[in-house]
Formats: sequence, structure tokens, C-alpha cells
Amino acid sequence: MGDILQIANSTVFWVFAFIIVAIVAFQAIVFLWIASRSAGDAGMNPTEVKTAIRAGFISSIGPSFGIAIILVSLIALIGSPITLMRVGIIGSAATESSAASIGASAFGVELGADAFPIEALAAVMWTMFIGGTGWLIVTMLFTKSLGRTQEKIQKHNPKIMAAIALAAMIGAFAYLASQQMITSLSHTIAGIVAVAAMIVMMKYADHRNLSWLKEWALGFALLIGMTTGYLTTFIL
Amino acid sequence: MSNAAEQSQVVLNNAVSEAPGIAGSSSMDLFYQRSHFWGRLTLFIIIIMSLMPPLYISFVMDAHPGWGVIGAGILGYASFIGIMWILEPITYYPTLGVAGTYLAFLTGNIANMCLPCSSAAQKAVGAEPGSQKAEVAGVFGIAVASLTNIIILVIMILGGTYFISILPPFVEGMFGFVLPAIFGAVLGQFAYRTPKYGIIALVIGMAVLFAPIFSLIKIPICVALTIAVVLFMEKQKGNLNG
Repeated sequence: MGDILQIANSTVFWVFAFIIVAIVAFQAIVFLWIASRSAGDAGMNPTEVKTAIRAGFISSIGPSFGIAIILVSLIALIGSPITLMRVGIIGSAATESSAASIGASAFGVELGADAFPIEALAAVMWTMFIGGTGWLIVTMLFTKSLGRTQEKIQKHNPKIMAAIALAAMIGAFAYLASQQMITSLSHTIAGIVAVAAMIVMMKYADHRNLSWLKEWALGFALLIGMTTGYLTTFIL
Repeated sequence: MSNAAEQSQVVLNNAVSEAPGIAGSSSMDLFYQRSHFWGRLTLFIIIIMSLMPPLYISFVMDAHPGWGVIGAGILGYASFIGIMWILEPITYYPTLGVAGTYLAFLTGNIANMCLPCSSAAQKAVGAEPGSQKAEVAGVFGIAVASLTNIIILVIMILGGTYFISILPPFVEGMFGFVLPAIFGAVLGQFAYRTPKYGIIALVIGMAVLFAPIFSLIKIPICVALTIAVVLFMEKQKGNLNG
């Protein structure tokens, strides 16, 4: 694992990461400019512009640290610059870790295994980067016509679409979790505790209307699951 | 120059250089024109840039895993994520608006960062949902969140590299359980409203995992079975009557 991380952390990948981060930052600045130019026409005065910016800033701190907690765990598997690029562009630790896992098993190895050849890292990268362009291509091509598409789907039957999307995600992550959980009894416990911790936190957050807890829940559930799994190795 | 002409000159001031001849809400038209232009351009550049790292490791570092392996990886991933490529932009569009969609899908973390920041900015200025004011306020919220996120991530990832080099053994031991914990936590996040579906999906997952079928099609099979069961149960409950 050490050798592969040296390759994954090499200068070239840092350069790619820097370019991609720069493009994302550039886009944010361009849209701040576009919004500033049209703020008056949309009925926002300069004070409201400042208020909106401050609200965005405050609200983003919690989620960003929540993302960062999960991010540190991915660094150990695929190195820093690739983690930064993936969290930078499509950026969901859950989708990217599943992409990495699937890419590795397509090559015939387990993510994080001791014998992890560079070709397996390449398979992981192809899966993550090409898989991630799906959202980008759809957004680039179809945002213009999305308004019309949306109306049609809502008219057809919005509940069926929502149920299918939910079931697809539950099914996929149940399989991925199962695959990990059969590794050992401690892995099983780590997985089950993480599921339970997440359900309890989300239900509590809904009940008490705690939006901050929803932002932090994934990071907390991850920590709780990992810690419990590790502690059971001393007992089992 | 008459008074009326002067007035319309002021109104069209912003629009005149790029969109001559558009009257009425012309400056909001300009907002959408600019959003589509810059949104599409930045997404196109990122799509091209996304090809570079895998191409580099395959052909410059000479570590090509073979197109069969790549195809299997992408297909396995697309089998459950592919539906999200289309459904997520459609689902979030009414909340994010045109500019918000371009921003959110580039910077990522839509559900856990962009949407909360967009609605926080909209509520902070008292904008009616769906109004132009809400759309522009949301852009401020998401754009600032995107910049904040980048800064925090860069600091954490630079610190994270150092952090990993000084890790005590027990933390490394904990990271041995990161994958079951992540996948379990995400499963919980999607299933928490109906934990029954989560349990059913886990049972299906275990059954498929031990079933003697070709391993690459196991995820699609598990997804298809879960969709079938969830749709059946929702139908029984009468929740799908549109």
C-alpha cells in the first residue's frame, strides 16, 4: 500500500488537482460576478447581497468540516491529490468511495489491500473520473431543457420516480455494505453500528429540527462505526 | 434625446452590449444567458480535465489496466449511479435554478452543502421560493459555499497528509473499518425514514453476495431486486397513486 500511495501522491497528480480546484474556484467567482450584476434587477439591494453571502458562508462551514472528516479516511486509500480532485468536482465521499471500491474489484483486488498494483490504481481512477463525468455531461447538456423535462416527469408520476431513485441507492449501498461486512465479525459490527447510528441521528435531527446534526451525521456515524469496529477487535 | 428614450437607455444599460433589442425583463434574460454560457463552458473544461488523470496513469505512467477492466468498473458503477446522473439534476433543479445547478454539480456535495447554503441565503433575505430574487440569492449562497469548501478542503488535505504520517497505531486500526462504516452510514442516511427497506436491502445484498452468479452483475441484480421490492411495498401501501 505504501508504494502505491507514493505514486498517487506524486507531483503530476498534485498539478492536476490544482488545475481542477482552480477551475471550480474560477466558476464560483464568475457566478458571484453574474449574480452581482443582476442582483438589482432581481430585487436585491446591496445589504441583502451581503446578508446572502454571509448566510452562505456560515452555512457552509459545518458541511465542509463534515466532508473533511470523511476525506481524511479516503486519503489513506487513494492519496491526497486524487481525493481532493474527486471531492472537489462531484464531491461526495460516499459515491467516490463506492466508485473506488468497484474499480478495484474490476481489476480483481480489494481496495486497501497490501498487494495493490499501479494498474489497479489506474482502474480505480478510470471508474471515479469517467463515472463522475455523468453528472457533468447531463448538467452541461440538459440544464436548459430541464425545466420542461421536470414538468413531464412530475405530470407522469413523481412518486414512482422518487421511490425508484431511493430504492436504487439503498440497494447499491446495502450490497456494498454487505460485501464489506462479511470480511469479519468486527466489520459486521462496524457496518451495523454505522447504519444504526445514522438512523438514530437522522430521526433525532428530524424530530428536533436540528439541521446542523444532519450536516454532521455522516461524519459522526463514520467515526462511531469505525471506533466500535476497532474496539471489538480487543474482545473478539 | 427624449426623456423616454433616455429612460429605456438606462434600463437597457447592462443588456445593450450583449443582447441588443431585448426589452422588458432584459437584465434577467442576461442573467440566464451568462449563466448558460459560463456554466456550460466551465463544465466542458472540467469534463476534458477529468479525462487527463486516468489517461496519464494509463499511457504516460504505462499502467493501463486494460479496457475490459475499465469497462467493467465503469459499468458496475453506472449500474446504480447512472440513474442518479439524470435524476439528481432533475430533482434539484427547482430548488437550485439554472445558475445554482451549474454551480452545485461542479462543486459537488449538493444535498449536504449546496442545497442548505442556497436555502439559507434565500431565507436570510426573505426571498419567495421560485422567485428571481430567490434564484440570485441562492447563487450567492452556493458560490460562497463552494469557495469556503475549497479553502477548508485544501487546508485539511495538506494537513491531512501530515496527519497521516504521524498517525498513532490505534487510528490506523480504526481506518481498517472505514469502508463498512461509510457504506453502512450512507445506507442509514437513505433508509432512515423507512428502516424496513434498509433491512430488506441488506438481506437481498447478502443473498446476492453468496449467490453463485457472475460477480460483475451482482450490484445491478441487487439494485433491481430492491427497486422491485420497494415499488411493490409502496404500491401495497397505496403510496404510488399519482
